Amino acid sequence: MKTLPLPSGLLRTLAGQALAFVIALALGAVIILMIDESPVAVFMTLMRGAFGDAEKIAGTLLQTTPILICGIAACIGLRGGMFNVGIEGQLFLGGFAAAWVGFAFSLPPVLHVLVAMLLAVVAGAAWVAIPAFFRVRFGTNEVVSTILANYIATLLTSYFTIFLFKRPGGWSETPPILESAYLPELFSFSRLNIGLLIGIALAIATALFFRWTAKGYAVTMVGSAPKFAEYGGINVRKVGFGVLLVSGAVGGLAGGVETLGVHHRFMEGFAPGFGFDGVIAALLANGSPIGTIFTALFFGALRAGSLLLEVDTTASREIITVIQALIILAVSADLLMRRRGDRTGERRWKF
Amino acid sequence: MKLFARLMAAGVVLAASALPSFAAEKVHVAAISGYFAQGFGVSIVNGLNKAKTDFGIDLKLVDTGNRALDYEEQFANLAKSGQYDLIFVMGWELVDALQKVSAQYPNQRFVFIDGVLDSKTMIYANFAEEQGSFIAGALAGMVEDLGPKFDKIGEGKAIGFVGGRDIPVIRNFLGGYEQGAKYAAPDVKVNSVFAGTFDDPAKGSELAMTLYGQGADIVYNVAGPTGEGVMQASATADKYSLGVDIDMCASAPGNVLASMLKRGDVAVYAIIKDEVEGRKVTPGTRTFDLASGGVEVKMCEDVAAKLPAEIKAKLETIHKDVADGKIKIARAK
Repeated sequence: MKTLPLPSGLLRTLAGQALAFVIALALGAVIILMIDESPVAVFMTLMRGAFGDAEKIAGTLLQTTPILICGIAACIGLRGGMFNVGIEGQLFLGGFAAAWVGFAFSLPPVLHVLVAMLLAVVAGAAWVAIPAFFRVRFGTNEVVSTILANYIATLLTSYFTIFLFKRPGGWSETPPILESAYLPELFSFSRLNIGLLIGIALAIATALFFRWTAKGYAVTMVGSAPKFAEYGGINVRKVGFGVLLVSGAVGGLAGGVETLGVHHRFMEGFAPGFGFDGVIAALLANGSPIGTIFTALFFGALRAGSLLLEVDTTASREIITVIQALIILAVSADLLMRRRGDRTGERRWKF
Repeated sequence: MKLFARLMAAGVVLAASALPSFAAEKVHVAAISGYFAQGFGVSIVNGLNKAKTDFGIDLKLVDTGNRALDYEEQFANLAKSGQYDLIFVMGWELVDALQKVSAQYPNQRFVFIDGVLDSKTMIYANFAEEQGSFIAGALAGMVEDLGPKFDKIGEGKAIGFVGGRDIPVIRNFLGGYEQGAKYAAPDVKVNSVFAGTFDDPAKGSELAMTLYGQGADIVYNVAGPTGEGVMQASATADKYSLGVDIDMCASAPGNVLASMLKRGDVAVYAIIKDEVEGRKVTPGTRTFDLASGGVEVKMCEDVAAKLPAEIKAKLETIHKDVADGKIKIARAK
């Protein structure tokens, strides 16, 4: 008897992912059968809604953009051993800051976008600076403090929108931003804008930074083995503070991209849960920025596909959410198994 | 001969396949909103379901969720195939996306419920909430004017108003309420406040308690779920409240004076009925008012039993005058 050669790590991973996906589909099929729909029709509709034609693909990428940028923000934190769960709040403040520059000032076209984006980045970084300071100075758990900061950020932007900058009449939203502050759209038929390219460029830049620079290596070391990093002469506190600040800045950028690129104004509760989606995308990718591109795309496809699903089948919104969660659950379970086997180095955040 | 027979047969088949189009086409209706599970949204769903039972229409309900990023795709997905004769839309947060998609699909008939927008290709189901609120204001004003001789009323000579968000439709409620109070009881002043949110019952309760504390004895709730707090506060403070959209007498028995009903069910049913019976619904504004049963003030039995007869009589006169158009009420802009 000849023994089969063991599959390589990558092959095993892919096989595991495929298996996870099949399990998720099977579980989803059971639920779909329970509501008297055909599982095949539902999954075909999901695919058609995500990739059916050029418009649908653009819709998927539109959904992917904020998840990707928030995911990069989370990746940066995770690599440095910081679990920034406050991306949601940074996104809201960044979004508001960019919109404010957009409607309150009149600037030449390109400059207007740059200034608005810069303020979004500063707002995001400033918002995480408080939890970051407590983290490095007093060792306060940043998971708790950044989650709490989310509530304050969401309500603070609501307050700004409703009581200080509400446009007369209409919904609780700011006046529209000037056209000079619009992010350029990529196609005439979709709201998809250069935010996607910003996200991809950011992912590649982050990956290169961690792979090729001494600073990137230092951050990774602080994240995986802080004692060793300290022994090697790295100021662990300073690096930790910097990591959170950059992570928050990217979170703010995500908000700026959404308001300048898609909504062209700030609405109360404009992007609920996007920050958390980003964190999950980054965790699924095991903290890899390039991997996050794909996990974010996966999320974006699920979101975009489910919009058509709701219209074209009798599946209700709740059922769709359950199916989404099942797919994510199955895929993430497999990734966690792989992490146990293949990854070395100790992360401070253990689950 | 053979050829002739075949032609005949083909003709029969053609005629048969064409037949269904002579019969009444099934009307396809979609409705999209984030509020189908609460208050006014429930009333709309009731009307849609009634139309489905009575007319056998094809009905599709879509929940928008709360992600502004999704709205445009959701509208486009519904409009693109052109399979729906009418698409009902409810919710002011959807307005921007709706108008954009409506411009892309000008032949798709969208029915915006509860307001009038700029777009010329849409149908607007508008409610004369200022008329119902006028009656509510008149009732509250007259009861407050009775002073301490009526149960639970103090010397404050004031009535209150808790609005959800400061949006045009809520302003219109307030306008009618103020005019009604002024018409029936000029001495009673109206204290109004906006919660800034439709989703915070605790805040509604807090604001209502403040109004009661300032001497108002009757508070009109126009605040969606925030208003549930207003109703609870009226029981806590043992004062009066006025409900909105649906019958709220049961939410604080003995403390609810009346409810101003906005009959979303009446509106959607009437529109679908026209469409089904061959009167094609065309773009423009349709107002559902006191006369057509689109709005009405429903007294709560327990409190109404205690009301002096002259107030009831006067209220009926006012009701009649508003319905006939004898009393003109200004709409908030």
